Amino acid sequence: MVGATATGWPPPARRRAMSDTTEATRTNEMDTVAVVLPPEMRKGGRRRIGIVRGRRIIMAVTILPAVLLIAAFLWAPAVQGIRISFSDWRGLGPIEFIGLENYIDAFTGSEFLPALWLTVVYAVLSTAGIMAVATLLAAAVSARVRGAAFYRVVWFLPGIAPIAAAGVFWATAFQPNIGVVNVILGALGLGSDHAWLAGADTALYPTVFVTIWASVGFAFLLLLGAMEQVPVSIYEAARVDGAGTVRRFFGMTLPMIRPVFVVTMVLEMIWQFNGFTVIWAMTQGGPGFATSVLPVLVYREAFQQLNFGMASAVAIMGGIILIAVGMFAMRLSRSKQEEF
Amino acid sequence: MIKRVLGLGMGHLLLIGWTILAIVPFILIAIYSLRSNTDLFAYPLGIGGQYHPENYVIAWNGPGGGAGMIDYFTNTAIAGGVAIVVTLTVGSTAAYFATKLGARMRALFLAIFLTASVVPFVLIIIPYFQVFNALSLLSQPAVLGVTYGVLTLPTTVLVLTSYYADFPQELIESATVDGLGEFSAYLQIVLPLSKGALTAVGMLALVFVWAEAQLGIVLLQESTSQTVSVGVLGFQGQFTAQLGPLFAGLSIATIPVIIIYLIFNRFITKGIALGGVFR
Repeated sequence: MVGATATGWPPPARRRAMSDTTEATRTNEMDTVAVVLPPEMRKGGRRRIGIVRGRRIIMAVTILPAVLLIAAFLWAPAVQGIRISFSDWRGLGPIEFIGLENYIDAFTGSEFLPALWLTVVYAVLSTAGIMAVATLLAAAVSARVRGAAFYRVVWFLPGIAPIAAAGVFWATAFQPNIGVVNVILGALGLGSDHAWLAGADTALYPTVFVTIWASVGFAFLLLLGAMEQVPVSIYEAARVDGAGTVRRFFGMTLPMIRPVFVVTMVLEMIWQFNGFTVIWAMTQGGPGFATSVLPVLVYREAFQQLNFGMASAVAIMGGIILIAVGMFAMRLSRSKQEEF
Repeated sequence: MIKRVLGLGMGHLLLIGWTILAIVPFILIAIYSLRSNTDLFAYPLGIGGQYHPENYVIAWNGPGGGAGMIDYFTNTAIAGGVAIVVTLTVGSTAAYFATKLGARMRALFLAIFLTASVVPFVLIIIPYFQVFNALSLLSQPAVLGVTYGVLTLPTTVLVLTSYYADFPQELIESATVDGLGEFSAYLQIVLPLSKGALTAVGMLALVFVWAEAQLGIVLLQESTSQTVSVGVLGFQGQFTAQLGPLFAGLSIATIPVIIIYLIFNRFITKGIALGGVFR
């Protein structure tokens, strides 16, 4: 086919017809083993079927392992998680089913609904912060290309370091009096004795800050990539028409990168909804349950209270919300692919 | 004109400000790692006082005979190595031959991996614990490595499928004319020519293994079996009275990955650009 294109033969219409036939034979090969052939072709036909069967075996051997692994390590555990959520399993003995009790307990208890709300707050604040900072940074870098390579490398550093290690550092940095954050605040005359992580009403904000700090690099890379695709000529035309930097940014750059922007935002939202490590490293969900977002609550219920049934029920409900967001994200990313 | 200069000034402030915020924590970790507790509290911003390089020895060997960074590194290397082998062999093979499927099967194939990439960890973590516990597979970094390999499969497959879809077909055609079978053509022609893309997804998988802590905390119960991320979280508890070695541990956990990143950042950013999927 490629050779034919290069020589300009066959002409377009005929080429199209040819590719249609090849497509048709290919589907035939894939879907039916017993191809019915006219008698004069029988002999060659049998050989053909042998090749088709060999081809099917190759396809099965190469593709099925990946699918089976996904089934064994993702779908099967998810189904098992649903089963456990209907039981009061505590890690030992057989799983005995108790119906919807865990779900009812979760809604009437004092931990699930606050954790759900906390998760939404944490995910929304983090995502908003990440997108705002990343968009600003990408716009600033794409406006002046000099040094872009440097920023690209440096700003991704927080995302590349083990987030657990960074979280442990930041936990120290937010300590009263000795932590670097409070030292800087003190130097600015804002007081150096804020016990950020010890206060139930302030503990979440440092974790949001560190999440933003760690995640901006990735969002920045995606957004910068999108902004670099915007044709320069559009900007030049706008500049001639007298549109200022801010006008150009909101009127042209943002609409042009909208698909990538939306996908990045939804991905970040999903990841922050699942966020565990930053919070675990900084507060372990405390003080009390003040920073116990859903993943942390699941961990605490399961591995500190050994209440696997309840923990699974909480995980399932969080998972359902998240999968809904995920489907939404996939739909958006599909429309993104169509646009490009 | 004044407005323009002001705008440029604001822009530069933003660039410099975020650069400082991105780098300074790592510099502070490096400085704190050489500190005793008293000096750490006396000089929270860095310079001055005594330096204690022996913190690194304590962190490397572990406090009082427990597991140290050397164990965590070994375990991370095992888990990462297994994960890379699983995700690259299984993922690349599936991704390549999936491009030869008919349109409908290919869509189904991609949908399997797309949906798999949004299954939240909290949903599978308890069943993992149950099964690993029942099979006595807890605290084995190699087994966790297989899990990591599968969990990075969606990214690997999605990135490589789009890469292989653009693979020049005439190369494979001429190889088949020379009598190579489909699978041999894949091994001898496609794989060697895909080193760049394979390195990119391999780096993404390594970064994932390096950073992952949630599954690790649950499945690596014994401290001698833990990976760097999990071990560092454990250090936090053991070193509350002695922050110098804790920061030495953080420093050891951070420096190698930064060096690897500086060498291979081309591949990592390429992987992100190719996939945009990243767990």
